[in-house]
Amino acid sequence: MLFGASLLSANVGLIVWLSVIFLVTLLILRRYAWGPITSALSEREETIASSLNRAEEALAESQRLQESNAQAKREVEQEAQKLLREARDEAQSLRDRQVERTREEITSLREQALLDIERDKERALQSLRDEVADLAILAAEKILQGNINSSSQRALVSQFIDDLTTSDRSQSPSAQA
Amino acid sequence: MSIGHLLSTLVCFTVLLLPFDSMASEEEEFDAVHHTADAYYLDFLPFAKVELPRLFIVRHELSGTQLLAYSSTKRALQSGEMLPYPDHASDEPHDDEPHTASPVDLDALITSGKHLDSKLIPREGALLLDLSITKHLVFSILASGILLTIFIRLARRYRRGIGRTSAPKGVFQNLFETLIVFVRDDIAVPNLGKENSDRFLPYLLTAFFFILTCNLLGLVPFGATATSNLNITAVLAGFTFVLTQFNGSKDHWKHVFWPPDMPVLVKFLLIPTEIMGLFTKPIALAIRLFANLTAGHLVILSLIGMIFTFTQLFGEVVGYGVVPISLGFTLFVMFLEILIAFIQAYIFTILSALFIGMAIASHSHSEAH
Repeated sequence: MLFGASLLSANVGLIVWLSVIFLVTLLILRRYAWGPITSALSEREETIASSLNRAEEALAESQRLQESNAQAKREVEQEAQKLLREARDEAQSLRDRQVERTREEITSLREQALLDIERDKERALQSLRDEVADLAILAAEKILQGNINSSSQRALVSQFIDDLTTSDRSQSPSAQA
Repeated sequence: MSIGHLLSTLVCFTVLLLPFDSMASEEEEFDAVHHTADAYYLDFLPFAKVELPRLFIVRHELSGTQLLAYSSTKRALQSGEMLPYPDHASDEPHDDEPHTASPVDLDALITSGKHLDSKLIPREGALLLDLSITKHLVFSILASGILLTIFIRLARRYRRGIGRTSAPKGVFQNLFETLIVFVRDDIAVPNLGKENSDRFLPYLLTAFFFILTCNLLGLVPFGATATSNLNITAVLAGFTFVLTQFNGSKDHWKHVFWPPDMPVLVKFLLIPTEIMGLFTKPIALAIRLFANLTAGHLVILSLIGMIFTFTQLFGEVVGYGVVPISLGFTLFVMFLEILIAFIQAYIFTILSALFIGMAIASHSHSEAH
């Protein structure tokens, strides 16, 4: 039988050779190639996985921070709004009170003024009445110097003075006080 | 298709066809099986036919066991210590009587080139082991050397930190990393589980890349496919077998020798089946790889051989007519072979992982499995 003609011929020598070669290759590769390569690969995968985890955590953390920041901002804004409103209210009420007081003051001042005017007027009337009486008396004296005896003329003067008094009293009642 | 493409394709085919050209010119009988089978020479025809060293361990009654080494088959025969075993030995009743060839016969044999096909036996003593270097062994060693070169270089890159702390750089590293990660994540881990895969990953990676390299070396001009040799695939399957049996769990052996949850009679039927099953798995592994790789080569050689067959049968005109058809099919099968090179490496590795995974698994039999 030709050696080369058979695809199925057994060759123990070849089996021995290949067993040795394959085993040596396997051991060398395991020691110097597969070990370093697979350890590097798993190390890299762990690094990537942990970086991803950390990135995710950081993202969650930043979202949490952002959330709390927004919350704080909202609170602060609300606080500011409240303060502003309070201040505005305060100012409004202060102004209202001020206006009220001013108005009261003005009223009282006017009343005071009116009273003063009334008093002055009364006084003026009084002095005018006195003056008129004096003038009348003076006039009367003058007349009397002419015809003092005439009783009818005297009655006339008295009548005139009375009339003055009554008309004055009817015009301003406070003049009597 | 540009002229450049056409030219390069033609050059490729010319290189592929060189051995056949030499055959035709020497008017040798074209034999696809002979070309696919193992041999004691490297075929660089038409340039050269390099004979490989022959090593024999011979037990001698007087001088004991000794190693006989020759640089080639020719030298072994010329030394007179080794004799060609006659082709017609099977016809003769006395197999143990060596055929003593005369020097003239020997020269004629060597000139015809047939000495490479004959079996050698020692003139004195008995042949214990023929450790001769064969074509397929050379290509196995070549594959092993390629693996060592590539992966030790690759490991050095990882040691330097490229790929460890940073991203892998370059085609070389990315290509092989993809394959390594594929073997780990798609072959080892699914079949062995995460905690066991580290233990068997070196074997699976070595087997995958060794088979792949051997397969691809067969597609190179002047190359030979070591994995189309049953002895070689048997060794590889043997490694899987040994790993499977040595790492078998208690459950694995219990399953083989006392199958649980069965009537006793059925157990006795099952035990021989289970024991056979231990061996059929690696045998199937070996034969599958061998048959796939051999078949591909036989198909390619037969397709090319069609040209010569048609020329012989119907004349030169028909022969030339067959050329484009034959080359078209050959090209197609060549691409198929590239695919098969990867697929068979994958199948051998994943089945090895599956068998080891089945053997190391511990499970209680009350559970469904």
